[in-house]
Amino acid sequence: MIEFGVDALTRERLAEARDWGRSAMRPAGLEADRLAAPLPVDHPYFAKFVERGGGRTRWPGPRGRERSDSEPTSVVTTLLQLEELAYWDRGVTVADPGPGLPEGNVLAIGTEEQKERFLGPFLAPDRPRWACFAMTEPGAGSDAAAIATSARKDGDGWILNGAKCFIGGASRADWILVQATLDASAGRAAQRAFFVERGTPGLGGFKIEKKMGLRAYESTSFTLSDCRVSAANLLGGEARYASNAGFKTAMQTFNAGRPIIAANAVGMGRAALDEALAFARENELLRRERVRDRLEAMARKLRMARLVCLRAGWLADRERPNTVEASIAKALAAGVAQETTALGMELLGSTGARGDHLIEKLYRDVKAMDIVEGTGQVQRVIIARQLVGLPR
Amino acid sequence: MFDLDPGDELALVVETARKLAGEELRPRLREAEAARAVAASVRTAFEAIGLAGLELPAERGGAGLGAVARVLVNEELAAADAGAAIALDPFGPALYGVLELSDSAILDDFLAALAASGARAAWIDDTETSIAVDGARVHAEVAWLPADRVDAVVAIAGDELLLVRDGIATQPLPGAGLRAAGACSLRLEAAPIAARAVIGAGAARARARARLYAASLLLGVLRDACDFSRAYALERRAFGRPIAHHQALAFLITDMQMALDGARLLVHEAAWRVDEGLPCAGAAAAAFAQCIEASRLIGPSGVQILGGHGFMADYPMEKAMRESRALGLWLGGFDAAIEDAGRELCDGAGRALELA
Repeated sequence: MIEFGVDALTRERLAEARDWGRSAMRPAGLEADRLAAPLPVDHPYFAKFVERGGGRTRWPGPRGRERSDSEPTSVVTTLLQLEELAYWDRGVTVADPGPGLPEGNVLAIGTEEQKERFLGPFLAPDRPRWACFAMTEPGAGSDAAAIATSARKDGDGWILNGAKCFIGGASRADWILVQATLDASAGRAAQRAFFVERGTPGLGGFKIEKKMGLRAYESTSFTLSDCRVSAANLLGGEARYASNAGFKTAMQTFNAGRPIIAANAVGMGRAALDEALAFARENELLRRERVRDRLEAMARKLRMARLVCLRAGWLADRERPNTVEASIAKALAAGVAQETTALGMELLGSTGARGDHLIEKLYRDVKAMDIVEGTGQVQRVIIARQLVGLPR
Repeated sequence: MFDLDPGDELALVVETARKLAGEELRPRLREAEAARAVAASVRTAFEAIGLAGLELPAERGGAGLGAVARVLVNEELAAADAGAAIALDPFGPALYGVLELSDSAILDDFLAALAASGARAAWIDDTETSIAVDGARVHAEVAWLPADRVDAVVAIAGDELLLVRDGIATQPLPGAGLRAAGACSLRLEAAPIAARAVIGAGAARARARARLYAASLLLGVLRDACDFSRAYALERRAFGRPIAHHQALAFLITDMQMALDGARLLVHEAAWRVDEGLPCAGAAAAAFAQCIEASRLIGPSGVQILGGHGFMADYPMEKAMRESRALGLWLGGFDAAIEDAGRELCDGAGRALELA
């Protein structure tokens, strides 16, 4: 039955996200933005985050009963939570400790030994711990088949060489799941993912980028110079790669990621809308039609973007294909959120140009939503392949 | 919790509407437009499956379904021929004012006025039309209605709903679109009020349902424009490949689909709110506004994709462009919709779009 309601459990989670966001995330995000630097590893925000049970793995543990509270959460509920968290500070959500982006890959195709070794420390973390996924390279973004970081078999291990960039949390991660290729001319089938632990010789050259926005988390470049990892560090183990499952590993991550970015964008747009409404109310601008019309357009399109995003999640919950819907959500929500923050700036007038208003920060932050996990143009290519068979 | 599946019962109703639309409306698209009326055989087929009574209570011979059913059915009918969809429904948006009343005698009067085959009702609203009540009589003037005749007028004036059955003067118009439904201007000059009742807050709900009625017809026209132009772009070749495989058109087709999908979800959510008895005025107004905004992209783009053929009456794209524009002018159109949605937003307390 067609239904747009939100159940009590989801409401509860949204209220928790709101309270945490307001009390902890927003201040931390503003601080990082002001200092133009990522929140340091020893920032009290992270300790507090872990203390309240954050930063843990979804993996239930080696015997499947280390965690009793692993009640599965629907994708729709998760998207709404992530929307609410991004409302308070999207940069901080990315900075949060935890097994993060690669966790899904490890859960999906990691061996039991790998889960225990790499996710085990996240069962009940003794301190804030991070992990990250490294796909993007200076010369390969969404075209994941074009990555050039090489992996060469060396006895019972592997030698990695290459450069990665814009990797969230790389310098603080316990381990990085590095996507590499056995043969750059062989496309996707030759790709593999490797766990590279912090301190591994050859892993270095960390450079934390300076960014326009989303400053709370580090986006880091690093190099792999004859970096040797053991055979046990190949994600999924040798047998896994008898077929061309390598590339699909990366693409699955992308598929799950697009609606998340869309939800983030909706949350950021909502924050800009509420700030714009508050500004207009305080300055008695709400009687002006032009002001009301801008606010109305912001709200309407954000409402639409949220629904498009939830549709993609709802399909995922039902394990139905959502390639088109996920890309539509991403392309549409990122555009809407950008427009919303731009209209918000317009409404502020010269106050927006001062550089100390939250909408101004959101205007800078939200641009990334149309870039990460595939730009709006890449999304349109993906959609067009499905809609009209646009050739590759 | 969030669910977009209509369920078996509703899916069957929608399938019935789709079948009728495909078999009866679509093949007579230009015929109905030229005749400014639907063929008698089409009307007979429509009446036989009872789609007009979709939202009438069961005790009045209706199916007792709600706004969600209406928007799904309207999209199917309008994807074939929006003008015919309007022509075939005796009640149209006028039904909603009457349904919001607890006074069942007015509903009986309303139904009696529309009992004849081909009879039509009109809805007018003092938020967009000047309506003057003078004792037991009413004056009003409407520049355009998609109708060839008007047998009953439901008017919202202040906190009152008025039913007018006599003294309704109509003047035929060429009509910019939706010609299968006819086109006329309407004048009530000291027309006797046949029945009246206080509608109060029900007016906002009735207005919401009226907007969803028009919005869902718009969705149908836009869906057809998207589907038809996409199919054409896959057949038509230029510079050695289907024109759809040139990225300029591939991206345009993508943007059209995105606009349609987004607008549709807004319509469905607002309709669900109506059926749940939740506040729905702002959501419905926003949904209608977004459909109109989408129509500004999709209508002309459908023609654009067909190039010169799009401009010619041999293809239905020029009709979709005209009709999508006309539908967005009905019931106060975009400006009245964003006015209502904007007012609700700006009057609200706390965070906008809050779910927690």
